[in-house]
Amino acid sequence: MIAWIYSTGMTPFSVRRLSLLFLRVGNLTFGGGDPTMAALQRELVVTRGWLTPERYGLIYSLARATPGTNLLAFCAGIGWQLARLKGALAAVLSASIPCAAAVVWFTYVYTLWRSNPLAMSAIVATLAAAVGMMAAASFQLLRPRWKPGSRFRAAVIFAAGFALSFFLKLPPIQVLAIGALAGLIWRAPAKV
Amino acid sequence: MNIVLLYLLLLKATATSFSGLTSLPVVRNDFVVHRQVLTDRQLNAAVVAGRSVPGPNGLYIVSVGYFIGGIPGACAGWLALVSPAFLMIPLLQYVGARAERPAVRSSIQSLTLAAGGLIASATIPLARDALHGPLSVAIACGSFVFMVFTDHDTLWIILGSAIIGLLAGLLV
Repeated sequence: MIAWIYSTGMTPFSVRRLSLLFLRVGNLTFGGGDPTMAALQRELVVTRGWLTPERYGLIYSLARATPGTNLLAFCAGIGWQLARLKGALAAVLSASIPCAAAVVWFTYVYTLWRSNPLAMSAIVATLAAAVGMMAAASFQLLRPRWKPGSRFRAAVIFAAGFALSFFLKLPPIQVLAIGALAGLIWRAPAKV
Repeated sequence: MNIVLLYLLLLKATATSFSGLTSLPVVRNDFVVHRQVLTDRQLNAAVVAGRSVPGPNGLYIVSVGYFIGGIPGACAGWLALVSPAFLMIPLLQYVGARAERPAVRSSIQSLTLAAGGLIASATIPLARDALHGPLSVAIACGSFVFMVFTDHDTLWIILGSAIIGLLAGLLV
């Protein structure tokens, strides 16, 4: 790894530089994990040369398979790869603390403004927008699997997840466990 | 609510999900339905707060923690958000080689699909709370279309809907 970094002649690695990078990219990129991980790919692989494209690809894939927030798992993986526990802590803390503080501030403003009728009309409109966002988030989990050869399987598992939760009122963890089990029994087509 | 319990319940939600909002059904089940320490409206507001700032989509957990337990609750939410990230380390160390096994890949795929169904199910009660009248329905539909068919930032949805809401408030 170190040899690869120096062979590219790019910025030498340090935990401080890693923290500053995650502080900037992790807290200034809107749109959630995917745009942020794409921005970090450019910074880590292309601009700084701290990671090979292959290693980036492996960490990205594993982050998608790690429970919890993919972006933070990605930060932990990059940090660990570059500087073990110190790097993982630096990356996760830098990428999460400032934006968490911003969320608290935003929530505080919401509680302050909820007695103001004009502010409430704006807030109620943003709550309606959140409903659309959630519906879109649900659809976007289905969409990548909505391909010829896998549509029926995707539709059945998606609809079963909905029905088990909405009609049978099963707790979400049980629904997810059934989903994982279904995947073991009813295998996804190889190229989907 | 006890902060340790709040952390553990939020951790259960984050550790059993695979992307930002997929933890939402667990959060709603625990805090809105069973313990009744959070309303659907607050949960909806938490989603808006989480999507209004840069950073991961799962940030709404911090807002949920704040609604329930103030600043200590927000800290519990943040801790619950970041804790599962460190599972990445043993994964990267030991099971990276198995990630492409067909059984593991197939299981993760179907788990993600089931999570999509769960989110759709959790959206309905929130929609009942938030959608009253044609304007809010139009905003929700517009937000869905914007999210699905464009690559623009979600901040524009929040800003646009807030401006529409303000204008509607001024006109009424």
